[in-house]
Parts: sequence; structure tokens; C-alpha cells
Amino acid sequence: MHTELELVTAPEVPIEAECLSPAKIKGLSQSGIEHLEMMHGNRKVRVGDFFRVTGNGQCSLRLEGDLSRVKYIGAGMTEGEVRVNGSAGMHLGAGMSGGMIRVSGDASDWVGPEMSGGRIEVMGNAGHMVGSAYRGQRVGIMGGEILIHGNVKNELGSAMRHGLIAVGGQAGDFVGVNMRAGTIIVMDGMGVRPGAGMVRGTIVSFQPVELLPTFSYSCWLRPTFLRFYLCHLGQSGFEVDDAYMGGRYRRYCGDSVEENRGEILVLDAR
Amino acid sequence: MSETKTTEAAADEPNIRIVEDATCTFCGCVCDDMELTVDLDANRITKAKNACVLGRAWFLQHGIEDHPQAMIDGREVPLEEAMDEAARILHEAKFPITYGLSDSPCEAQRVAVAINDLVRGNIDTTTSVCHGPSGIAFQGVGESTATLGEVKNRADLVIYWGGNPAESHPRHFTRYTVTPKGRYIPNGKKDRYVVLVDIRKTPSSPVADQTIRVKPGRDFELLWALRALVRGRDISPDIEGITGVSRETLDELVERMKNCNFGVLFFGMGLTMTRGRHFNSGALLALATDLNKYTHFVAKPVRGHGNVTGADNVVSWQTGYPFGVNFHRGYPRFNPGEYTTVDLLARGDADAAMMIATDPASNFPKRAIENLKKIPVISLDAKPTYTSRAARVAFMVATYGINTGGTVYRMDDVPITLRPAFDSPFPTDEEVLTGIHTRLKALRANGRKKAA
Repeated sequence: MHTELELVTAPEVPIEAECLSPAKIKGLSQSGIEHLEMMHGNRKVRVGDFFRVTGNGQCSLRLEGDLSRVKYIGAGMTEGEVRVNGSAGMHLGAGMSGGMIRVSGDASDWVGPEMSGGRIEVMGNAGHMVGSAYRGQRVGIMGGEILIHGNVKNELGSAMRHGLIAVGGQAGDFVGVNMRAGTIIVMDGMGVRPGAGMVRGTIVSFQPVELLPTFSYSCWLRPTFLRFYLCHLGQSGFEVDDAYMGGRYRRYCGDSVEENRGEILVLDAR
Repeated sequence: MSETKTTEAAADEPNIRIVEDATCTFCGCVCDDMELTVDLDANRITKAKNACVLGRAWFLQHGIEDHPQAMIDGREVPLEEAMDEAARILHEAKFPITYGLSDSPCEAQRVAVAINDLVRGNIDTTTSVCHGPSGIAFQGVGESTATLGEVKNRADLVIYWGGNPAESHPRHFTRYTVTPKGRYIPNGKKDRYVVLVDIRKTPSSPVADQTIRVKPGRDFELLWALRALVRGRDISPDIEGITGVSRETLDELVERMKNCNFGVLFFGMGLTMTRGRHFNSGALLALATDLNKYTHFVAKPVRGHGNVTGADNVVSWQTGYPFGVNFHRGYPRFNPGEYTTVDLLARGDADAAMMIATDPASNFPKRAIENLKKIPVISLDAKPTYTSRAARVAFMVATYGINTGGTVYRMDDVPITLRPAFDSPFPTDEEVLTGIHTRLKALRANGRKKAA
């Protein structure tokens, strides 16, 4: 059983709805859910003003409609499941530590910022700052996994400390900028300056990448750990080519401006 | 506030006033050594001694226009009625935004922040489309800073990166950074080494002892390579292929930077508004920080508008953040990209806008302008603009620095007092904004009474 919320009134301005999270609706009656507070611009509103609620406080939440102007869906969630049948707004799963979010459409900027656990899966595209730190913070995501099947924009995994981010399509500039540790896999190419300021961590690209002058070639290898990751991604619906699985990777170390202990693995086309 | 120094002319001469030590608010240099000759009969400035070519145009072309003080939908109305309407729009809006502020004195900026605090709006300044990336970088990296006075008296290595002050800030070289003699720079330019980093030759190039031409869009790579070299790390042997600058040039520059007594990096929008944006600014600020291991090195953005630095200072002082601040929840939140005006308008998030001393309808992206046209706009400007012509409520205000006093901040965060030249029939920004603020407080009090 799940609780279903259908967006029936289009918001005039963006909604901020941290209450759309399993822990917040758990144990509430249908009326209790309808009375939960959200922000509609600078006004406090009730969930029932915009959503038609079916069911009561189950740990599984299903959201229907175009939620591209609904921010903070699943923010701070610790357990349960949120399924968005449509698109989701900014700050999806911000600071979450457990549970699962799945979006059938696109997500906006700041997917899973500063999350520490759980899983976010977006079947479409996402915006800037996926799996990143907020401005002014030194550390981004501390754990969990973010899987984007489409494309993402700039600053993917900015300052990430732990966890896995995978992108089935293309990524913008500054992938893994200021990365502390963790793994980022981008399948269809990335923009300029990946790994700028990275301290440790692994960035994997299956397409050629343009590297900063502070990265240097180290060796080639066939990393075993990557096969485990790719099997996992294959099971999650990503298209994993055989060449990725058994291929040879060129390893570049950087960023020499920092400790030179990060690595960028690039599939060797030969 | 210091008293305005003026000299009235003799009775048999035209009605002339001389204003000494007036301040030019055209650009971020905010030169405060102007001597203005004002024809009080014609309400015109006839001579602006010490002004640069831009300053002269700013002063001499200023006149009092025959224009209503306030209009609603293009119809002239009393000032009070327009303030009532502006307050009503802001009071009823769910996502009111305020933008501009960089050509208003600090006193008006302060009221604009108070209004947004009251209506739980969103305040942003033109910083977000010029040195906003530097604002993000200051927060992320920090800033080693100095005043222009320190630069004048101490700097023996001056590096300009991505800017063309000869055309944008004509007195920057002559008043502060290159030619003036300073306490520890007794011979002026002879004691300084000036480096210009840009993608092309500009009118600023002849001033420089060395010009470094970087490939377009490769500033970050060049700065990053310099950081690595300063830290004694190795860089790609193909650095010339990547950036267009040879390894020898970089090594020489690094040695020069490490061995100067007082170095300064000035950076412009060639750095902040090209690919990489806040990372470009951040790389330059980090380079200055790295160099402090060897010598004294500072970095300063070269700011454009007269009081854009004041906008940063006032909004930071009042909210804790320099631009792109949202008050929806009753407390300030900062998130460039989410709360910056271009992004808000492009997404169609805002439902009312107050534009203060800015003309977004002429220079914003098309989608943002289209969305701006769909919402009620309140405009405050000293001249008619595309924005004011399309605004629901338009106020014509007095020009700061020429008709009104107040305080502005120079680009190095030094506050300077304005000395107005002659009076204007138009109200000041501060008066209009205070009127709106007072009305908003009354509207909110009435709302509370009704609710009770």
C-alpha cells in the first residue's frame, strides 16, 4: 500500500514541501496529510490546497503530476520510498540519509545535495549541482547513491566525500570539482575541467576527456572494482557496454594543486 | 556627513556655483576629487574638472527632464498614489523580487532590504550579473584584500586579469595603481611592474610592461597552472598548447610574483563572466592566497557601477549574504542560481518585481524579459528606460551624486560621501522606498487587526 498525492492545482509560484517525505506522513490520517504545511512562495499553505490525497500514512509515497515547481521533495528523509510519476523540482532529497526516491521524468538543480545515505534515481535529465555541496559548505554528499539516466549540467558531485554518482548521459563542466572521495561514473562524456581541486576519489569516463594541466598520466589498468559498479548499474537499467566491463582504462592522477591523490579513469578506445 | 564646499559667484555674473571635492558615481572608482562648475539657472553642470572622459559625460550631459514624478500604467499620478499602488503590489505578491540597487546610495539600499524583510521577498543586486561569481568565490575561497590607497602606496607588481580599465575605469591607472607616486613607490610607474592578462590587445595594453595573451576560455587552466607552479608542483608539458602561454613565461611570472614586495591581482568580467565563472574568480583568489606564503599579495575585483560595492556591503551587513537573498521563510537564505534574478525570471518564478536603478528589460535574456512583462513591475530610475516604460508603477527619481547626497562604496569597500551639485524636482530613491515601506507596515498592521 502507498499514499498517493496528485497535484491538482498548479502552483503560481514555487512550492517548498519538505513534508512530502515518508517520515513526515507516517501514521497520519488522510486529513492529517492534507493539513501538513508547505510554503507557496512566502505564504503558508496546506498540502490539501494543491494535492488530492488518497490513502493514509504509509511509508511509501507516490506523487503524480508535474512537480517541477515543487521543491524539497523527500528532503531529510530517513526511510521509506518516494516515487514521482512526472518531474521533480529543486532540492530533491536534500540531506536525505535513507530510503529511496525515484523520478520517472526530469529533476531540476540540486538533486540530493549533502545527502548521507539512501538512493535517488532519476529516469530523465537533471540540472546543475547534482550530488553537491551547498554554497559555502566544504563537504558535499557523505554517502548513498544518485543514479541519473539522462544528462546533467555543471558541478556534478561538487565536494563529494563518499558514495556513488552515475550518469547515463552527458555531464557538464567541473565534474567532481573539489571532490574529497567517492566515485563518479559518467557514460556519455563530460565537459571541461573534471576533478578540479580534487583531493581523492575516482572519476570514470567512457569517452575521451579534456584534462587540466595539473593532471598527469599514471598507468593503464583494468580495475576490478569497476566491474562490480557496472554490474550494479546494469541491474539498475543503465546500458553497460561489454567494452566498459572488460576494457582497459588510462589512469590520470590529480589534482596536483591539491594532494595529487585523486584519479580519473578514461576508457582506452584502443 | 561633511559639509558641501561650495562657492557662490558674484551678483553680476551668471548664477554659478562651484562644488569642490564632489564625487563621481559613474563607475566603481568613485573619484572624489571633482570640481564641478554648476549653472544654477540652467540646472546644468558646465565644467567637471579632474573628471575622466566617462565622468565628464556623466556630469555634463545630466539635465532635469520634463517628466512626471510618478506614473501608473503610463498615466501621470500623484506620488502618494503611486506609492500606495506599489505597496499594494508588494503586499499581495507571493514571490516579490527586488533587483538593481547598484546605482542607488546605501541609504536607499538599506530601505530596500527592509522592504524585502517585511514582505518576505527576494532581493538581488546587479552583482549577480557581473561579479556575482566573485561573491560566491569569496565565500568558498576567501579574499586577501587591500584598499586602493594601499595599492597606490605599496604595490610594486600590478596584474590585471580579464579587464580593460583604460576604457572602463579610465582613472584607475592614473589615480591608484600605475602612475601615482606612493609612500613606498617614490617614482610611480618606474617602481612598478604592470602585467596585463587578456585574450586580445586592448587600449590598456600600452600601459603594461608585459602583456600575456591567453587563449579565450582558458583563464582557469592558466590560473590553475600558476597555482601549481607557485606550490612547486608539476604541470602538463603541453601547457602552451592548452593556454597559449609558454612555460618560460609562466615560470618568469611566478618568480616575479613570489619576489615582489606587494603584489595585487585586479580582475574583471573577462574572468567572472566566461566559462567557469566562480571557479575562475576562486582560482585567482586562491592564487593570491597561495602567494602569501612568499610575499604580500592581494586580489580585488574591478567593479563597474558606482555603488555596486555598496549594494554588496549593505545587503551583506543586513542579511549576511551579498546578493541573491530570499526571505520567504522570514530569515535570509542565499543560493545563487535559485534566488538570482535572471534565473528567477527565466523560470517564471516571481509574481511581482521592483526594479531599482536598473533596466533589465533592455539587457536580460529574452525568456526572462518575456516573463517580466507578465508580472506587475515597479520601477525607480533617474531616466526613462525600457523597464520603466513597461512598468505598472514608474517613479522618476533624482540622480545620486548629482542631485542627492548619501553614501557610496568605492570598489575597495571604502565608503565615500556624496556632494550634490544642484537640486532636482524628483524625489530620492530613499524617499520613495521609505514611503512604500511605511505603507507596507500599515497594510500589514491592518491585516493583523482583521485577522484578530
